[in-house]
Amino acid sequence: MVSDELKQVILKQLNLDEFEIDDDTVAPSVPGWDSLSHVNIIVAVEQHFKVKFKSMEVLKLKNVGDLQKLVDSKLAK
Amino acid sequence: MDKRDTLWKKWKYNAGLTPDKDAIVHWVAEEEPVRWTFKSLIETAGKFSHGIYKAGIKKNDVCAIIIRHNPFLYPLYMGISRAGALPAILAYPNPRLHPDKFRQGLEGMAQRSGLDYIFTERELEPLIKPLIEKPGSTIKAVFFPLEWDINSPVDKKTDAEIESIAQSVKETDYFLVQHSSGTTGLQKPIAVTHKMLLEHVDICNEALNAGGDDKVVSWLPLYHDMGLIGCLHIPLASGMTSIHISPFEWVLAPILLLEVITKEKGTISYIPNFAYNFLAEKIPVEELEDIDLGSLRLLINGSEPIRHDSHQKFIERFKKYNFNPLALMSIYGMAELTLALTYTEPGKPLTELYLDRNKLSEGRVVKAGKDSVVRICVSCGKLVRGADARIFDVNRRELPDTFVGEIAVKSVSMFEGYRNYPEKTAEVVHDGWYFTGDYGFKCNDEFYVIARKKDLIIVAGKNIYPEDIEDAVNQVEGILPGRVIAFGEEDSSLGTEKVSVVAETKLETDKDKNRLRIDILKAGMSIDINIGKVYLAPPRWLIKSSAGKPSRRANKERLTLKEDPQIWSR
Repeated sequence: MVSDELKQVILKQLNLDEFEIDDDTVAPSVPGWDSLSHVNIIVAVEQHFKVKFKSMEVLKLKNVGDLQKLVDSKLAK
Repeated sequence: MDKRDTLWKKWKYNAGLTPDKDAIVHWVAEEEPVRWTFKSLIETAGKFSHGIYKAGIKKNDVCAIIIRHNPFLYPLYMGISRAGALPAILAYPNPRLHPDKFRQGLEGMAQRSGLDYIFTERELEPLIKPLIEKPGSTIKAVFFPLEWDINSPVDKKTDAEIESIAQSVKETDYFLVQHSSGTTGLQKPIAVTHKMLLEHVDICNEALNAGGDDKVVSWLPLYHDMGLIGCLHIPLASGMTSIHISPFEWVLAPILLLEVITKEKGTISYIPNFAYNFLAEKIPVEELEDIDLGSLRLLINGSEPIRHDSHQKFIERFKKYNFNPLALMSIYGMAELTLALTYTEPGKPLTELYLDRNKLSEGRVVKAGKDSVVRICVSCGKLVRGADARIFDVNRRELPDTFVGEIAVKSVSMFEGYRNYPEKTAEVVHDGWYFTGDYGFKCNDEFYVIARKKDLIIVAGKNIYPEDIEDAVNQVEGILPGRVIAFGEEDSSLGTEKVSVVAETKLETDKDKNRLRIDILKAGMSIDINIGKVYLAPPRWLIKSSAGKPSRRANKERLTLKEDPQIWSR
């Protein structure tokens, strides 16, 4: 389940106050989330949670739920 | 005598000469690449040509290909050509793009280009079928070639018939259709003959000192000339290897380009300006450990204005990974000339002029003094063989060197006119010169492009027409209809432009304006455009042009000159 914390990081990066984001949310449905801003979002998530993702891990992400799971897996280590 | 004067004959010849050499390497992240040798590629193309022939597709029929990154795209393309038909690669729709917008775009293209058939993936069937069934549609059928069984034995008699069609094609016959940018539904189709393309192959290889040992590495989409001609057709016709990465995968994992160059020892790559920033800034250092760019002898910047800073960032980051700064090159070209008008000289430093920015906007090329606001102009190089270019003023009178004006071009690789679009051709071709709509100047035989006419926005190498954005945003509730403009603003951190929109509204509260902004962003999304910044103005704020419509240029200047308390922006 997508945490509020992750949601806020994403919204802040996209300069949005509020937008519905859940496990199934995909980038094309969120205003401003295109392929160029995607990298900035990933970097913002890494910096906020103090984790590092590999490019191939990022490539496999299908939705925000996957991103949450990836964050969780890094934090569990 | 066997004259290799068509692409099929050239491909066959290469297959005979170096059958086991990699022709096309289809790259997918974390998977073994699919390697097409020259022999396996032409054999599979032959198999696809049977399906095309049996479908009743005739010589000169235009076949649109709307397929994502797939190893069978290349032999399919070649198979269409063998059957004498004309392939035209079109962009696969982004999930954000509203289906109606996609259909509108495709319909417009179908009418202009005279699209006869569509080759696509099953997923798009519900989207495309209504187009075929619409009365008056030029599109006769849609096919799903990735579902074809191409492994069944080939009928020799049919094969001979198809081969005889391929052999009957003349060098002056059309080979492919590519599209120059235009507003939705009004892209401009350009048909390229075999002669044009093969001549252009020689011209570009000469300009790059390129030969059989070169390997072109690309993530560029194949519906755009730099990708299609520069990275697919030129190497394929020349017997060179080309390696193709998915544009979608690359933008999510930019390291892929550098990994492929390292692993495959790529020597040439073409990338738009923003990619230099992207690569320099978005790859974590841990991932660069095994990267070695020593093989890369040419990194060619094209498709959007070249920024000095972008090159500097790239050099700074990658010189410790064996990147040779002398590999940096520029290209200036367009689909109307098949691809290239100018290249800088390979292996030599790029010429850069430090100019007075204010004088430049007045049309004069003046070296920056110590009090000047400096603009660094990076050269796009000298004319390739068979090309000519002049600078003209607004009255279409020729200007001398170091005066800024519209660049008009001609070349041996020049188009005959936009297909089925004579009125558009007449707008831009005069006395044999194609007026590009780009502004620039010539200095010491080198050309510098500094601006676009007609307010075109270029984001990450992609041309975006403000009219498309304005049409979409005009539909948003809360906007005063007709009181919207869109323009590009420089994003120096990204090394490209971002799209900005100014709209008039009667809404006053912050809450309402924030909500309106989201609706405007969503309107952009529906046409697959990311709007970077929204400015909201009160009624009657926008300055009108003499035509009575809001002036993009005047309003952009007004916004950037001074902060206006009436303007809300985010």
